[in-house]
Amino acid sequence: MTDGPLIVQSDKTILLEVDHELATEARHAIAPFAELERAPEHMHSYRLTPLGLWNARAAGLDAEKVLDALLKYSRFPVPHSLLIDVEETMSRYGRLRLEKDPRHGLVMRTDDYPVLEEVIRAKKIAPLLGPRIDGETVVVHASQRGQLKQLLLKIGWPAEDLAGYVDGTPHLISLNEDGWELRPYQRLASENFWAGGSGVVVLPCGAGKTLVGAAAMATGSTTTLILVTNTVAARQWKDELLRRTSLTEEEVGEYSGALKEVRPVTIATYQVLTTKRGGIYPHLELVDGHDWGLIIYDEVHLLPAPIFRMTADLQARRRLGLTATLVREDGREGEVFSLIGPKRYDAPWKDIESQGYIAPADCVEVRVDLPKDERVAYAMADDADKYRLCATSESKTQVVEQLVARHAGEQLLVIGQYIDQLDDLGERLQAPVIKGDTSVKLRQKLFDAFRAGELQTLVVSKVANFSIDLPEASVAIQVSGSFGSRQEEAQRLGRLLRPKKDGRAARFYSLVARDTLDQDFAAKRQRFLAEQGYAYRIMDAKDVHAAE
Amino acid sequence: MSLIRALGKDLEARSNDSLRALFAARPDLISPPVPDFAALAARASSRVSVQRALERLNRPQMQVLETLHLCTNTDTGHSASAEGLHQLIRGASLAVIEQIMGTLQELALAHPAVPPHGTPPPADGQHFYLPVGSLKDVVGIYPAGLGRSYTELVRLQPAFAQRVVQLVSELHRSGFAIHDATTPMEAALALQHWTSSPEALRDILAKAPERTTALLAKFRNWAMGAVPQAQRKASVTTEGADVGPVDWLLARGLLVPLDAAHVELPHSVGLALRDGAIINDFTLSPPVPELGRTTSALRRNAALSAISETLRLVSELLHAVKETPLATLRSGGVGVREMRRLSDQLRIDQDAAGRLLELCGLAGLIRLDVDSSSWVQPPQLEWLFLPRQEQWLWLVNAWLASERVPSMVGQPVNTVPGGPSRGASGTTIAALSAGAQRPDAPVVRKRILEILHDLTLEAEGPDGAVPVLDAAAVLERAEWSQPRMARRFSSLIRGVLAEAELLGLVGSGALSQLGSAFAEDNPDAALAILGEHLPAALNHVLLQADLTAVAPGYLAPALTEQLLVMADAEGQGPATIYRFSAASIKRALDQGYDAAGLLAFLREHSATAVPQPLEYLVEDTASRHGSLRVGQASSFIQSDDEAALRELLAGPKAAQLGLARLSPTVLTSSAPPRELAAALRNLGLSPSVDGAEPAGHLRRPATAQESPRPVYTAPGIAPPAEEVEAQLDVLRQAGPAVGHHSGADGEAATQLGLEALQRAIRLKQRINMNVVDNLGNASLEVVVPLSVSGGRVRVFDPAKDTERVLSVHRIIDIEAAEELRQ
Repeated sequence: MTDGPLIVQSDKTILLEVDHELATEARHAIAPFAELERAPEHMHSYRLTPLGLWNARAAGLDAEKVLDALLKYSRFPVPHSLLIDVEETMSRYGRLRLEKDPRHGLVMRTDDYPVLEEVIRAKKIAPLLGPRIDGETVVVHASQRGQLKQLLLKIGWPAEDLAGYVDGTPHLISLNEDGWELRPYQRLASENFWAGGSGVVVLPCGAGKTLVGAAAMATGSTTTLILVTNTVAARQWKDELLRRTSLTEEEVGEYSGALKEVRPVTIATYQVLTTKRGGIYPHLELVDGHDWGLIIYDEVHLLPAPIFRMTADLQARRRLGLTATLVREDGREGEVFSLIGPKRYDAPWKDIESQGYIAPADCVEVRVDLPKDERVAYAMADDADKYRLCATSESKTQVVEQLVARHAGEQLLVIGQYIDQLDDLGERLQAPVIKGDTSVKLRQKLFDAFRAGELQTLVVSKVANFSIDLPEASVAIQVSGSFGSRQEEAQRLGRLLRPKKDGRAARFYSLVARDTLDQDFAAKRQRFLAEQGYAYRIMDAKDVHAAE
Repeated sequence: MSLIRALGKDLEARSNDSLRALFAARPDLISPPVPDFAALAARASSRVSVQRALERLNRPQMQVLETLHLCTNTDTGHSASAEGLHQLIRGASLAVIEQIMGTLQELALAHPAVPPHGTPPPADGQHFYLPVGSLKDVVGIYPAGLGRSYTELVRLQPAFAQRVVQLVSELHRSGFAIHDATTPMEAALALQHWTSSPEALRDILAKAPERTTALLAKFRNWAMGAVPQAQRKASVTTEGADVGPVDWLLARGLLVPLDAAHVELPHSVGLALRDGAIINDFTLSPPVPELGRTTSALRRNAALSAISETLRLVSELLHAVKETPLATLRSGGVGVREMRRLSDQLRIDQDAAGRLLELCGLAGLIRLDVDSSSWVQPPQLEWLFLPRQEQWLWLVNAWLASERVPSMVGQPVNTVPGGPSRGASGTTIAALSAGAQRPDAPVVRKRILEILHDLTLEAEGPDGAVPVLDAAAVLERAEWSQPRMARRFSSLIRGVLAEAELLGLVGSGALSQLGSAFAEDNPDAALAILGEHLPAALNHVLLQADLTAVAPGYLAPALTEQLLVMADAEGQGPATIYRFSAASIKRALDQGYDAAGLLAFLREHSATAVPQPLEYLVEDTASRHGSLRVGQASSFIQSDDEAALRELLAGPKAAQLGLARLSPTVLTSSAPPRELAAALRNLGLSPSVDGAEPAGHLRRPATAQESPRPVYTAPGIAPPAEEVEAQLDVLRQAGPAVGHHSGADGEAATQLGLEALQRAIRLKQRINMNVVDNLGNASLEVVVPLSVSGGRVRVFDPAKDTERVLSVHRIIDIEAAEELRQ
């Protein structure tokens, strides 16, 4: 028996002891097939899923190598049933192959005749298939390639897609590496993606996902469609691309509610694509009507359902997904993988922090006692109102004031869910409020002022959760979260993680009303943060003064 | 001469060494001891003992014995010689048959006999044999897989008897070379004659439709088979050119319908198909199964992981049972609801939980508390404090010796093979119920281990490759080495293999070194191997900010116990994750911990610093714990006069009454209300007493029961030498008792009587029976016995021309009324 860093559990999780001398080596060995689930300070836990194992197969890893890695680094005997399970699961991948046939176009082939028989009898799959050519081959309607792959994955016979990609219209793009250069992990991520064809790159907030996209565009030198969450993010992408690549203003188009430009590189928002008029999506044509060689999905974990459906039809084009967390509150991670592609790169947050590319974060949960009258109101409230009552407690406002006072001179964000509360806070802190009805122009102006240091405190609603680049923000105070949303928490924290000029740690306060729903939701979010490896502490509101 | 007497004589003539060998092979013969050779012979001839002896024979031995049975007649004393058997067993040399006959004689399953009438006097060294009398009852109706003769079928199958005459005459009329017949018996003989030789049958089958040969091949090893509509009308006169093989065979009487769904291949046809031999697949070497391969490293990995997992789960189960005993159903066993609770708690599926529970039950780690009819953990369970390898040994020993079969839990109850299970809901065997009891389990387990061991030794590769042994391979070998026992194997083998895997005796499908050690009856070796590989218990956990404690391996039991109080276990595998929550901390506070104590405990056992959120959780929970307090008091004193109460508390009586102050106006006392009131009255106060004194609860103190460590002794081993010697002394001193009727003791007399009775039934002879009536008066009757079953004998009384039923135990003795044909 070795004294390895892994403990392989019979419930298909793998624990990795981080402080072990072989930990890095073992992590590299298992990362291709196991999903990192939790990364608290001492014991990381990975999970073996069929999807992960199939992705590993797709990346050229066979069952034997997986079993070897497990047996080699495991501290204790590995449960035998798990070994068998891994072997069986992995052997299912690739029994079916999607191939290009010179005569019939897209076909599905197999060497395992019964599997094909089983699959073509599946009720949902039959309509996607064309005529049977012989015992081992069946024609697939080219438009149904994605849909078919997704359904095959669901019934446990994932197909190996060997049909290749279209190249798109060539368009020369190169990186302008003057005065900066691509970080090693960004280069690796881009290379991994291009080698695999399609897939998802997972990098922590602030680690420079945009540049991974730019690098991928430069490698491909083809017309590119970039899908982003909102207009502000679209502008940021555009600025970044103009700054970092050979692209000029004329080559980059914005396709949003306000502008409808289609250029060799077009940045579109999810919202405009999913606008429905008269039962149809008028803007979806943008996607299939042009010969894109690459489609980039920013914040891929937020992909709305219509985009999912649309993506299913785009299987012949290269797709790059970018995200910080693969957690979806709706549990549709599997669809991301099957439609966009497997995870191609995943950097542990700690690694990137230790290399100094993102700022270290210090999370503090501040427990606030509700005053007596609010407690009574809370106790008597309807269930539907309870969360709002405790989240917007008057006592929180006082704590916010104290905290703002303490961090005077630092770039500070106050983040909340409820507009009334934010307006109130804005008034008391004499800080501008950015919320849904703030115009894009005003938002840009305020963000620019904040970046420039002219404005030190900004009160924002959830519109600022994603993709807004605020590198100098070093303190954030969350007064209310959207219930227990874990990825929102990660995103909000992400606003702070862009590295600071003076290497300061970022501070993230979360105000929580004690003994209420707020605390329950907070516990859920905190657990997520702790599992992601962010250090956090809890303090009482009365200690805010005393601390430090 | 009676067969029992003949056997007795043979036994008496043997040397002591030969008898010792017999007793070693058939220990049931001298347990309890027998007084003389007649009794020994009687016991050796009893059905149960013969049955047990046959279970130990391998296939060649069984084949020779069945052939002997088929070519001899114990009623007429028609014996057979090794040469005679040699003709009927293809593929065996005479020497081999002689050697096997020697073994069978040694085992008292056959004994020498006089040659049959009309044979030339035996040459030197030629022996004639008869099988033991009850063999025909034990061997079944299809010895060597051959069917019954036409005459027997006519006698026993009325439907066939009705039809056979017509069938034969149709065949006769259609030009087949068969004699016409007028009675069923004649017809049977005609058929027998028609099919008697392989050549004759070949001629008949030459015109058979296709697939007939394939169909008949299915009857090669067993004379009975299932066909749909076996009693269909099939006739040679009406059949067309496209007749199917079944119709064709039925029309010629080559298959005989038994009931609506089954047919039998008659003896003569079967014999002819085997080219005139009774056995045509004789082989002395066991079949070598095709086996898969695995590596010894994988095998060890699988075995060790199974062992640590099982031990961990057993500990968890014991903890769960200790917290909440498992209630039993009225019909015995643990019900579905309790099982669901248990499996949820252990985070495993219900089948696995059932197996585990059975394992704990059979190992005595939980016991049924008769007062509450629930399963509880015995007090001071020694198992909990043993090193892990000894815990494992305890489980394995208990498992090997147990008559309970854990893997039967969850199987359907009372499934008739081929039939639907009783009840539409599909009742299954509940854990710890009587349904999972199999008295032969220890023998079968031991035997399976031995077979696994043999197969492993045969197939072990030099490069660390070890054979993967599946149920089919074991069964194939069992069919060869103990064909009579194999039937019992088939229903248990999968379960036994699964259980062995659970205990690490089998790993990755191969017999582990631990399993080998047990197959060789060497548990110490297993213990040594295991001791080397099981890591020592850890004494620390890793505390993390996500409010978990991770035990990176097997944790010392005392530590586990405490952790389980303050946190909830998660996950499944060598490492356990304990998650702290406000609820779990509250639980610990309820059990008497305080915040400082909890944190001190965590600091002591954590390899890392206690994270701030955990510290906060503990302190925060503790600070708000106890807003309701519960304590014990027998009575209270309430008064609005605070001063009086203060005075009372300060007075000398306070200590005696166990007074304590809860609030300015309430005191409690440990004395019962009446006593307290009396004491207060003595002080000059006038208290009023609320309510009556509650009846005291009597609690029976739990009696500490022994939970002895199970000791396993392999089943079926030879009786101790001193018992054998004592028995030999008794036998030799008793002198030549055989032959003197009066000398036979009760057991021998009973066997002799039954033998005479059964022989008379078969030969339809009259007997003189001495019978006791209701009033205890003996009377002599002359009757023709018809059948014996269930302790009753049906007789025909020729004097009164009626049938009667008598109890066998009422018969004092039996004597043949007419001289039996010898």
